[in-house]
Amino acid sequence: MPSDRLLPFEIQIISLAVLGVFSAWVLWLIRTRKLHLRDSLIWLLTTLAAIAVTAYPPLLAWGADALGIQVPANALFGAGLLYLAVNVLFVTIAASGTTSRVRRLAQECALLRAEIEELRASAERKNAGSAERAPPVPRR
Amino acid sequence: MRIAAIVPAHNEARSLPRLAERLRAHAPDIDVCVVDDGSTDETAQVAAALGWTVLRLPMNLGIGGAVQAGYLWALEHGHDVAVQIDGDGQHDPADLGALLAPILAGRADVVVGSRFLSNGGFKSTLVRRAGIRYLSWFLRLRCGARVTDPTSGFRAAGKTAIALFARYYPSDYPEPEAIALARRAGLRLAEAPVHMHDREHGRSSITMLRSVYYLVKVSLALVLLPQRGERLADDGSA
Repeated sequence: MPSDRLLPFEIQIISLAVLGVFSAWVLWLIRTRKLHLRDSLIWLLTTLAAIAVTAYPPLLAWGADALGIQVPANALFGAGLLYLAVNVLFVTIAASGTTSRVRRLAQECALLRAEIEELRASAERKNAGSAERAPPVPRR
Repeated sequence: MRIAAIVPAHNEARSLPRLAERLRAHAPDIDVCVVDDGSTDETAQVAAALGWTVLRLPMNLGIGGAVQAGYLWALEHGHDVAVQIDGDGQHDPADLGALLAPILAGRADVVVGSRFLSNGGFKSTLVRRAGIRYLSWFLRLRCGARVTDPTSGFRAAGKTAIALFARYYPSDYPEPEAIALARRAGLRLAEAPVHMHDREHGRSSITMLRSVYYLVKVSLALVLLPQRGERLADDGSA
């Protein structure tokens, strides 16, 4: 069996268990609304690919062969790094989006606060005016 | 003609009264909007006591986010022209006439105050001047904008430019990039001679190591300039 050569059976089982637990964790985080499905889709998809390769190692050999990589283990490391890099990039994209939105919200807060202060000041002026029963001041 | 002065201020409580004095002398009718960029001193209280509108940002957004808040305010209140003046005393309201002239004459949409077109005043250090020359050259190469002082934060914007900057304004050392954005949007640029003073209080936020970061960041931003309109994301920062 070619899978014996590429990946010892024990490691295959342990890897599958780890990946399974990881997927379950991500799914649980989504179900409990700690992770947005939108942001975590890339984790699920890449983990699924990792499960496929682990469950059927000839896929890795085939991929390594197609890319001209002599040792399939190197293809595994390469794929692992790519997996992490892609996921980190997606996290960075999400962080950038959040930064832009926070900036816009902060600006909106400042504008609204200035508006409220102005309204409060004009209301106080009006109240003070009616309390003293002063004749209406023509607006300039 | 309603003119707004956008004054980004971070811990500038000590400099604001002097600015108020100069503004009263040279532009008494201008509507001043101080953007308090998360100051820890009395900036907001001092500005309010001077009778100015104060936009209190709940956290420090940096100069780009602060200036954009000012443009949003000017857009909402229907100002025809907005002038950016730093709250730290390095810009002189005596130059407002020169800065506004090209816009009032309908010759430009954005006017950048240049310390190199005026006689006297603070011209910055030799190293910084070299950086400014490089940015000026790069801006012309990248988008044909002829600006001798691209890092100057003393500038005026007409109505279309106010709308543009309220929508898109770069963050993190935004001045040269904002010029490129305006140019890309088809706005007309002009320059005006202004005098700059050395800071009265506090230190410039730009140290040696940051200067290097500044040049690298701005160069990259200019290289990666979005295409006209369509590639600008709709989230407010470009």
